[in-house]
Amino acid sequence: MFIFVSMRSYSQYSNTRILFMFLGGVILLFLIAPLVGMFISVKSPELFSTLTDNAVRSSILRTLLISALATIAASLLAIPLAYLLARRTFPLKGVVEAIIDLPIVIPHSAAGIALLGFISRDSLLGSVADSFGITLVGSPIAIGLAMAFVSVPFLITSARDGFAAVPIRLERAAETLGAGQFTVFREISLPLAKRSVISGLVLMFARGMSEFGAVVIVAYHPMTTPVLIFDRFNSFGLDYARPVAAIFIVITLLIFVILRIYQKR
Amino acid sequence: MLEINNLIYSVGNFTLGPISLTLEKGEYLALFGPSGSGKSLFLELISGIRTVQSGTILFDGNEITYTPPQKRPVAMLFQDFALFPHMSVIDNITFPLKMRGYTADEKRERADELGGYLSIDHLMNRSVEGLSGGEKQRVALARAIACDPAILLLDEPLSALDQELREEAIALLTLVKSSSRAIIHVTHNRDEIQELATRTQYFKS
Repeated sequence: MFIFVSMRSYSQYSNTRILFMFLGGVILLFLIAPLVGMFISVKSPELFSTLTDNAVRSSILRTLLISALATIAASLLAIPLAYLLARRTFPLKGVVEAIIDLPIVIPHSAAGIALLGFISRDSLLGSVADSFGITLVGSPIAIGLAMAFVSVPFLITSARDGFAAVPIRLERAAETLGAGQFTVFREISLPLAKRSVISGLVLMFARGMSEFGAVVIVAYHPMTTPVLIFDRFNSFGLDYARPVAAIFIVITLLIFVILRIYQKR
Repeated sequence: MLEINNLIYSVGNFTLGPISLTLEKGEYLALFGPSGSGKSLFLELISGIRTVQSGTILFDGNEITYTPPQKRPVAMLFQDFALFPHMSVIDNITFPLKMRGYTADEKRERADELGGYLSIDHLMNRSVEGLSGGEKQRVALARAIACDPAILLLDEPLSALDQELREEAIALLTLVKSSSRAIIHVTHNRDEIQELATRTQYFKS
C-alpha cells in the first residue's frame, strides 16, 4: 500500500510532469489570453451600438449566408470526390490528395491573387460570366469562390475518413439485395458516414466565414465581417474594430461549440 | 438451374479453382473445407460481389457471369450477418423489397409474413444494434429470402452461434429449404450439415 501510494505520488508530481504541465499551460494561456483580454476591453455601450449598426449586421448576415451557400454548392462536388478517394484506387491518387491539401498550405492572399486571375474579365470564366452581364470580381459569387477554395479541404478530408470507416461488406450486402451503386451510396454509405460528413460541412462553413486573406483580394466590397473588422481597424483604429471582432468571435465560437457537442454525442 | 464451369479467381498468391458444379432446384448443397480454402470467395463470385477472372456461371441456361450482383437471382447470408446498423429490423428486412419498388403495404405484408415465419415479429421496430446473435441471424435470413431468391448462399451460417442457438438455427435453415430454391451452404464443420444437406462436397482451392 505504501509503495503504491508513493509510486502514485511520484508519477503525479514528477519533475517532468510539472515541467510539461507548465509548458502546456503557457501555450493554453497564449491561446486564451488575447481573446479574454479583448472581451474585457470591449465596453457595453460600444458593443450595443455595434450590434445595432446596420453595416455590421448586414456584413454578418452576408458572411453567414455566402459561406452557407458556398458550403452547400461545393458539397455537391466534394462529397462524391471524398467517396471516390475512400473507396477506389486510381492512377495519380496521391497527386489528387496533395491537390486537395494545397489550399491549407498556400498563403491565402496568394490564393486570392490566383482566384482573381481566374475570375477576372480577361479569363475564360470571367468572360463567360460577363457575356451574361455578371461581373464576378467584387461580387458575392467571388466571395463564395474564395471561401470555398480555402475551406473545401476540410469537408473532403472529413467526409473521406467517414466513408472509409463504413464497412465495405455492408455496401456489398446491399448490392446483393438489389441496390445499384448510386442507391448503395444514398442508402448505406452516406447515412453511415453522416456524422463525419456533417462535421466536415460545419468545419467548411466555419472556416469559410472566417476567411479574410483570399476574400479581401477578390472582393473588398461588399464587405464580409472579417474584411469589415480589417477595414475598421485600418481606418479608425483598434477601439472601433474590437467590438465587431468580439461579436464575430462569439458567433464562430457558438458554431464551434455546437460542432463539438454534435461530435461528442 | 445453376451451372458453374471452370471458375478461376486469383488474389495475390491464392488461386481458387478451376471449379465446376451444377445445382438443381430444391437441392441443398453443403460445401465443406478448411478455413482459408476460398469458400467465402466462391460464394462472392456466385453472388457477383467479385467478378470471375475465367470460367462461366449460367442460371437456367442464361449466362450471368458478368451480371451485376443486384440483377442476379441470388441472395446471400453473410457470416457476420451484414445488417445495416442505421436501420430498424423491419427496414433491414424490407430493404430488398424497397429496391424492387414494392409499395409500403406490400412491404408491410411481406414483413409480417416473414416475421411470423421466422418468429421475429416482436422485433420489427427494434434497432438491429441491440439484437442477440440468434436474433440477428433470423433478421439476416428474413432479409435474404424476402424477395424469394432462386439461389440462397449461406456463408458459415452456424459458426457465430453457440451450441444452443446452432440447433435453433438448423431448424431455421430446414424451414427455408424449399422445392423452388437451391441453397449452397459453406462450412468448415462437416458435422453441422449432416441433417440439412441433400448433397455434400469437399471444397478445396
